[in-house]
Amino acid sequence: MSALIIRPPSLTGGRRRDDDVTRLLPRPLLVTVIVALLLVVLGPVAYMVLASLNSDIGVAAGEIWPREWHPSNYLHVWSTVALGRGLANSLIICGAVAVVCALVSVSAAYVLVRYAFRGRLTVLRGLLGLQSIPGTLMLLPVFVLFASASTLLGIPTIGTRWAVFLTYLTFALPFSTWVMVTYVRGLPRELEEAARIDGASSWRVLTRIIVPLSWPGIVVSAIFAFLLGWNDVLFASVMTNPETRTAAVALQVFGATQETGALPLYGQMMAASLICAVPVVVLYLVFQRYLVGGLTAGGVK
Amino acid sequence: MLAPSGFLMFFVILVPLALAFYISVIDLDQYTIQHWLKAPFVGLQNYVEAINDTSLLHAVRLSVSQALLVSLITMPIGIAAALATQNAFRGRAVVRSVFLVPYILPAFVVATVWRTMMHPQGLLDHVVGSVGIDVGLWLNGPTSFWSLVLVQSWSSWPFYYLLVLAGLQSVDKEVHEASALDGALWWTKLRYVVLPYLRGSILLALVISFLHNVNAFTLPYVLFGVPAPHDVEVLPVLTYVTSFQSFRFGLSAAMAVVSLALVVVPLFLYLRAVRLDSGEDRVRR
Repeated sequence: MSALIIRPPSLTGGRRRDDDVTRLLPRPLLVTVIVALLLVVLGPVAYMVLASLNSDIGVAAGEIWPREWHPSNYLHVWSTVALGRGLANSLIICGAVAVVCALVSVSAAYVLVRYAFRGRLTVLRGLLGLQSIPGTLMLLPVFVLFASASTLLGIPTIGTRWAVFLTYLTFALPFSTWVMVTYVRGLPRELEEAARIDGASSWRVLTRIIVPLSWPGIVVSAIFAFLLGWNDVLFASVMTNPETRTAAVALQVFGATQETGALPLYGQMMAASLICAVPVVVLYLVFQRYLVGGLTAGGVK
Repeated sequence: MLAPSGFLMFFVILVPLALAFYISVIDLDQYTIQHWLKAPFVGLQNYVEAINDTSLLHAVRLSVSQALLVSLITMPIGIAAALATQNAFRGRAVVRSVFLVPYILPAFVVATVWRTMMHPQGLLDHVVGSVGIDVGLWLNGPTSFWSLVLVQSWSSWPFYYLLVLAGLQSVDKEVHEASALDGALWWTKLRYVVLPYLRGSILLALVISFLHNVNAFTLPYVLFGVPAPHDVEVLPVLTYVTSFQSFRFGLSAAMAVVSLALVVVPLFLYLRAVRLDSGEDRVRR
């Protein structure tokens, strides 16, 4: 499928052509579509910002524009749900996953693209297939395995950061490797061949030629690995304890307190959501040019 | 150099995958979990119980219809968005960035925001109330299924947009010129010239969107909380609750195996559609 390997230069709007010939929609329709979608997208986003500055009663009453402003939500939220520790845990775990995943996936991709071996296509197919295995299928056995490892080896696993790290790393690897495969495939072979003739080893070719040339791909791999962990609730909700909880799980405490019947802390809930969303949005905006190509390469969030 | 990732994937993906099948045929609960290797073998009994005594089939129906509905509803939206932003205009870069926002926001954030908007007498009740509609409860009862479809659609339409936009790059300028020379109206050109080019991208997006939605856990889990209302107890949530609230691990594993069955056909289509090897690659022996 050609769509998968194209990295369209105009996706980020660099090229400007004022061609009427290529116009696809009549102007009024085009304006309607864009305005309608902008409203639909920005409505909830704007509401999240406004509600994070509103009082809980105001949000409960369905106010859009706060009658009373409560910027203090952004102060209280840190003590209500241990958000600081959650963010720190998320950063440590996902940061480590991102770095290790990028390094492992670039070397794996190099081997998969440049060497012929039996089962190569099976591995490539597996990389894509593994992403679609439901997380709920893997959760229980991963949990059981870690628990057994802990009794067998006498080391703590469930509730530790490194167990979560290993889990995320493994689930991030197939997609990151696939992104790197599509990237390394596009690199010119001439440099490598020249280096080979000069007697460079595979390792040298990888570290001196492939890695420096594939920085954009490596960044995309790392970011996707990072986000996989950052966005996960399923595994973290079972495999962490209050000490090692990630931000995504820390946020779920708001849902739990809601069941006591008291008015939910809507304002702080929105503030916390916004705080968790900001790093993701910033990462995307900064690296958008590369990420869009990565997204279309495999199509997994 | 494949060894580290191969090793990891073997132990954290393939071994658990095999173990998932094994757990689904043993009687594993909170009493036997400590010595799970000695848990009694019960054959297909977990599957029989899941089908007869739990809401498994209901959950499967919900998951599949939700994923199909979302994939079909978001298709025209994503296509329209891609067509509208294909040609340059002032501010297009900003519009394109904004269009991606629902897709990039973490699912737990999207669900938290919509949950807040959907509480009784909340923002959505005011908004639809102002045009004289009373939806009733968004997060409970029969409407909740449509709330799930709505929120899932909101967060997943940009994926079509991305793939269609990439597909539009394959339409040559000559094609546009030819249809302009023929005096084709925009609709005719779209229907008979441009859309055929996009068929591959759209079908691929459809398959991936289904795969992505049918086993979505975080969004329904956070949007409705647990225990989920019966009308939105989709398969991943049911599986999770059976494991980590009822502690019926064997039963839950049987449900999880069913969820794998749901992705087999679309996954097969997906793997066939994707070109694994580019033609230019001359692989070294």
